[in-house]
Amino acid sequence: MKTLVIGLGNPILGDDGVGWAVAESLQATVNRPPSTVIETASLGGLSLMERMLGYDRVVLVDSMETGQSPAGCVRVFPLASLPDPGPGHSASAHDTSLMTALKTAEQIGAAIPRRVDVVAIEAQNVYDFGEELSPPVAAAVPVAVEKVLELLKEDP
Amino acid sequence: MTQRITIDPITRLEGHGKIEIFLDDKGDVANTYFQIPELRGFERFCVGRPVEEMPLLTNRICGVCPEAHHMAAAKAADAVYHVDPPRTAKMLRELLYSAFYVTDHATHFYALAGPDFVMGPDAPVAERNILGVIHKVGLEIGGKVINARKAGHTVIEMIGGRKVHPCTSIPGGLTKGITNEQRDEILKLGQWAVEFGQFSLKLFNDIVLGNKAYVDLILGDIYTHRTYYMGMVDENNNTNFYDGKVRVVGPDGAELVKYAPQDYTQHIAEHVEPWTYLKFPYLKAVGWKGFTDGKDSGVYCATPLSRLNAADGMATPLAQEEYEKFYKTLGGKPVHQRLATHWARLIELLYAAERWVELASDPEIASDNFHTKPTEIPTEGVGIVEAPRGTLTHHYTTDERGVLTKVNLIVGTTNNYAPISMSIEKAARSLIKKGTVVTEPMLNMVEMAFRSYDPCFGCATHSLPGQMPLQVTIRNADGEPIEVLKQFC
Repeated sequence: MKTLVIGLGNPILGDDGVGWAVAESLQATVNRPPSTVIETASLGGLSLMERMLGYDRVVLVDSMETGQSPAGCVRVFPLASLPDPGPGHSASAHDTSLMTALKTAEQIGAAIPRRVDVVAIEAQNVYDFGEELSPPVAAAVPVAVEKVLELLKEDP
Repeated sequence: MTQRITIDPITRLEGHGKIEIFLDDKGDVANTYFQIPELRGFERFCVGRPVEEMPLLTNRICGVCPEAHHMAAAKAADAVYHVDPPRTAKMLRELLYSAFYVTDHATHFYALAGPDFVMGPDAPVAERNILGVIHKVGLEIGGKVINARKAGHTVIEMIGGRKVHPCTSIPGGLTKGITNEQRDEILKLGQWAVEFGQFSLKLFNDIVLGNKAYVDLILGDIYTHRTYYMGMVDENNNTNFYDGKVRVVGPDGAELVKYAPQDYTQHIAEHVEPWTYLKFPYLKAVGWKGFTDGKDSGVYCATPLSRLNAADGMATPLAQEEYEKFYKTLGGKPVHQRLATHWARLIELLYAAERWVELASDPEIASDNFHTKPTEIPTEGVGIVEAPRGTLTHHYTTDERGVLTKVNLIVGTTNNYAPISMSIEKAARSLIKKGTVVTEPMLNMVEMAFRSYDPCFGCATHSLPGQMPLQVTIRNADGEPIEVLKQFC
């Protein structure tokens, strides 16, 4: 089975880079499953879907802005449980939602992953450029790494 | 009672944009505001870093057009070091850029603009997306769009070292060239892209131009503004995306100015409004006269439509044919109808594909002469390219070591901030009248006004939930919501 972990975000935009930090930390983890591919990306929608094609299973690690959890709170959920704004393409000025992109790929017969999970970390600051994570978000990186490793132990 | 309607397509994917429409007590539009919260501190982030890092850093500003920032930054860094890259390097950069244009314009047309026309602006929102287009036009269209993106990304990776965020441009050229085998593959992909461009224009012809209601919508007054137009041109005044001079024509089509990148501050100034952090660029020679069109207003537009209006033609044969047809069909130059931007975008797509083939066919494209070593002391430089969504200007100043002391960027959408605001207001005034109930198709028609500009609010952030639904809130004078509409199922 081919598994991909993608750390998402903008590495120079404060806490938005937390996905990258988690992916880089995973790269350095000795007990990660050897067959798992770990990448970083600043992508969404169609481009992110294209990166996921050909994998059986994908874990997305990203920052999250719900405003309802304290910064650094880590959550794990299947992608399908996110509300899909995709039906209205106005959801984004330039792209479809990831879910619409995956449905598009499925329709044209591309090999989309059977399972997509999300590990999300509540962010504090994603508006100021900078390479540093805020302290609570930085402290959440090892927690998120553990969550990814736990997910990878589960059956696909 | 004053009502406030908010169109809030908040997305953390490419930044926020929010439209607020204020109604007066009669239910007519009193005013509209289009607000873009700005990301902070990019200049501060860059100052103190070596200028050669800018092609890598700036392509992280925006998740939508990193290739455009990479190119503008590379050209500005060339200028800072007073170095002229060899012909092969310039061609390779333009080849990468042409492939990027094909993918970017294809995505916009098929995933974003197309659904309004293919499905119709009144179609249920659940069908107005790329899945609806595939369902209506056929499965093969989805495959073509994915193939176009794949072809473009392959070329970007071969020349730029990475699929999305290229990393090979440095002051004086590139860190690597391409092999003859890569050249052959790039050429083959380009030939397919030309066919794809022709197919897309035929589709537009059949679906949009073949439908009187759409032609009337395009030509109608709702989406018309008579402004100045900006676009980069080559020495023959043909459109060029990578290099040349910036030409500005007036509402009557006459040239106002044609300037070299380093002279941009002589021609462009920025107006500040109290309700937004983003500035409104305008033409210095004409002056800021408010959000109004016409020859006396310095508001200009920088879009695919603007580029066609600002040029005398396209440098490749098939695109030139389409260019002539465009102006013949729409009643001559310049075209002021903003919805025609979608058609102009497809003509640019075909031009980019033809240019891709032309460059890949050049005998020097696989040469090893892809870098000129900088030898001058670095000082200051400006780099300009045409980003898909408008003229992109990067301006850097460094100390004698090449360490940045000042950074100024005018990004594509910023040029269009005033015209977008004007188009939204005009569409809202035309569609929302006394007593009309604000419905989802009507709001989509207002949104179509700004979608034609393909606006980008620039950042590559991806915080979840990633994309939020379009939300419309109507508030009374006390700020109490009296109705909330959500544009999703």
